[in-house]
Amino acid sequence: MDISRRGILRAGGALAAGAGLTGLTACSGSGGTGSGGAGSPDRGEITVWSWAGPAAELKALTPAFNAQYPDIKVTVEDIGNPAIWDKITTGLAAGGTGLADVLHIGVDYLPGYVEKFPNGLADLGKLGANQYRDAFAQGLWATVSGRGGRVNALPWEANSAGFYYRADVFEQAGVDVKSLDTWDDTIEAGKVIKAKTGKYLLGIDKPASQADAANFFQMLLQLQGVFYFNLDGAITLDSPEAVKAMTIIKQLNDAGLVSDLSGGWNALIASIKAGTAAVLPWPTWFGGIIEENVPEEKGKWGVRLPPAVRRGGSTAATVNSTHLAVAGSSKQQAAAWKFVEFALTRPASQVRIYQDKGIAPALMKAYDDPVFHTPSAFFSGRQKGEVFLAALQAPSPAYNYSADYARALKVVTDAQTKVLLKGADPAEVLRQAADQLAQQTGRKVVR
Amino acid sequence: MSTGRRLAPYAFVLPALALFAAFKLYPIAWSFVLSLYRTVDGADTFVGADNYARLLDDPLFWTALKNTAVILVIQVPVMLALATGLAVALNSRLLRGRTLFRLGFFLPMVTGLVAYGVVFSVLLNEKYGLVNWLLHFAGVDAVPWLTDPLWAKLSLALALTWHYTGYNAVILLARLQTVPRELYDAAAVDGAGALGSFRHVTLPGLRPALLLTTVLSTIGTLQIFDEPFILTHGGPDNATLTIGVYLYQNAFSYFDFGYASAIAYALAVLIGILGLVQFKVLGDPS
Repeated sequence: MDISRRGILRAGGALAAGAGLTGLTACSGSGGTGSGGAGSPDRGEITVWSWAGPAAELKALTPAFNAQYPDIKVTVEDIGNPAIWDKITTGLAAGGTGLADVLHIGVDYLPGYVEKFPNGLADLGKLGANQYRDAFAQGLWATVSGRGGRVNALPWEANSAGFYYRADVFEQAGVDVKSLDTWDDTIEAGKVIKAKTGKYLLGIDKPASQADAANFFQMLLQLQGVFYFNLDGAITLDSPEAVKAMTIIKQLNDAGLVSDLSGGWNALIASIKAGTAAVLPWPTWFGGIIEENVPEEKGKWGVRLPPAVRRGGSTAATVNSTHLAVAGSSKQQAAAWKFVEFALTRPASQVRIYQDKGIAPALMKAYDDPVFHTPSAFFSGRQKGEVFLAALQAPSPAYNYSADYARALKVVTDAQTKVLLKGADPAEVLRQAADQLAQQTGRKVVR
Repeated sequence: MSTGRRLAPYAFVLPALALFAAFKLYPIAWSFVLSLYRTVDGADTFVGADNYARLLDDPLFWTALKNTAVILVIQVPVMLALATGLAVALNSRLLRGRTLFRLGFFLPMVTGLVAYGVVFSVLLNEKYGLVNWLLHFAGVDAVPWLTDPLWAKLSLALALTWHYTGYNAVILLARLQTVPRELYDAAAVDGAGALGSFRHVTLPGLRPALLLTTVLSTIGTLQIFDEPFILTHGGPDNATLTIGVYLYQNAFSYFDFGYASAIAYALAVLIGILGLVQFKVLGDPS
C-alpha cells in the first residue's frame, strides 16, 4: 500500500473541515431580515410549531378558530421539546428559511433570539398587540416587549413556583405540611419523613444530564426576588441569596434527602410512578403531568406554594412563561397574528387548555372562569387553581434572563454538580461560576 | 491539439470541483471570516483576533482539550492494539468462517452514531440499564456509568472502542494480506517463533496501515462529538466535554457563531500539527 503523505494530509484537512467547519456556515448572518410580509388577515395557510401537550391543545383549538376564520388553514406541528429550540435556532440563523409562521418559545430562549436575531421575529405591535399590554400577569409584558412599542411575542403560560406533595406520606410521617414556613423547616421535616417512611424529600438531576437540572436552585433564587443577572444585565450569580440557595441544596443532599433524577424526563416520570420522593417542587404546569401519570393516586396528593427561603420571605415567584411569536420571515403575518390572538387573548381558549392539560394562562381574565375555583379531587380537595392564582397576584419582580441565559445555566448546573457529587463549597463554586460567566460574556460581576 | 480537446479534462472535473467549492471551500473560507466577528447587540462586529484570544483564557476550552487528549493517549493506543490482535487472528488460516467473523467485527461501524449512542446510554443507565442488572447477579453494586466524572470517561472510551475497533482491524487486515508468505517461511527457517515473526515480519509489514489508522483515529478523536453529546452531553461537570461538543454548545446553545468558528479553526490547526508529527515519527524514513 503506497499512501502519499500529501494525500493523507489533504484527506485529513478535508475531514477536519467537513466536521468542524461546514456546519457553521449556514449560520453566518446574525438574523433574519424580516423578509416576510403581512399578507391577508383572513385567508391563507399557516404552520404552527409547538411541543407535546401545548401542541395537542393548539390543534384542538383549530376547529373553533376556523368557525371564525374559515379561510385560514392552520397546521400544528409537534416538534418536541427540546428539539424545537435547535430547529428554531437554525431556522432563524438561516434568515428564516424553513421556519413555521407561529413559534412557541419559552422565556429561557426568547431574549436570546430577540438579541441575536433582530427581525427574526415579527413585530406584533404593528399588528395590534399593544392593546393587550395590561391583559397578562404582571412582569410578563416586560419580557415580551421591546423598545418603541415593539412586541416580540404574546405570553401564553405563566408558571408559578409550586410544591406538590404526597399528602399520605406526610401523614404517615406525622408531619404537618402547613407548618413548613421555610426551607430550613422543610429540611428538618425531610429528615423525619426519611426516617419514618424511607422516602426522599425531593429529587434533583445530580450530574446535570439535562439542561434543566438547576430548576430547583433557580426557584430558590426567584423566591428571593433575584436571578443570575440583575436588570442592568450584570452577573449576580454569587450573591448572598444564591449562596443561601445552593447551601440549602447542599444541606438537603448531605442529609441524604435528595434522590438522583439523572436521565431527564423519563427518570422524573419513573420516580413519580415509583413514589421515590415526598415532594415535587415544580411549577404550575406540573400538576397536570402528575395527574396524567399516576391517576390511581387520586386524593393522595396535595399542592401548596413553596416555603419561603427566609422566615417571612416570599412564597410566590413566576418561575417561567412561554409565548407565541410570529416569524419575521412569515409571508402570512397577519393571519398568523389572528391565530395567536385567538389562542392567547380569548378567555374561552385558555380555559379549555387549562381544563385539558392544566396549563396555566398568563391571561388574567381567564381566571374568572369557575374551573380555577373548584376543588380538585386529585389534590385532596385543594383548589389548585386558586393556589397558583394567589401567586400570580402577589407582587413579582421581573427577572432578566438576558441573551446569555444558556451560558449562565451551564455554569450553574456545573456548580451544582460539583456540590452534589463532590461536596464542594457553595460559595466557592458560585464565585468560580460567576467569574467564568464574566469571562465568556464580557459582563460585569456585581459583588 | 484543438482547444476543445485541451478543455475536455477541465470540463470533466468541473462538477466535482463545483461541488467541492460550494460545500467545502466556501464554508471553510466563510467560517474563517466568521471567526473574526462577534455579535454585539444584534450586530456583527469585527473584533479581529479577539475570539482567538478568548480561547486562551477559557477554562472550558482547556478542559475540552484535556479530555480529548486523555482519550487520544489512552483509548486510541488500546483500540489499535486490540485491532492489530484482531487482524492477526482474523488472518489466521486456522480460523473457520473467517468471512462471518470479519463481518461481525465490522458491523458496529455500520451502526449510526446516534443510534449506537442511544443504545449505550440505555445499556449503561445506572438504575434501569442491562449492564448494571447483569452486574448485580455477580454481586457488584450499581456502577454510575454515566453520572460519575471518572466512570463517564470510561464509558465513553468503551463505546468508542466498540464502534471503531473492527473498522481499524479491517484496514490492518487488508494490509496484512499483502505481506508475502515467503517472509514468514524465511523467518521460520531462521528459527523465529510466533512472537518473533510477529515482531519482525508482521509489525514492519503493517507499518503503513498502522500509520493510516493512527492518523485517522487521531483526527476522529479530536473531532469526536456524537458519542459524548448523546451519552452525557459533555457532563457530568464537563468530564466528557470534547472540543466538538464545546463548539456545538457555543454555536447552537449560545448563538456565538464567531467564537465557535474560532474553536473550529484552532481544532483544524491542531489536527494538522498532530498529523505532521505522526508522519515524522511513524512514517517511512525514506
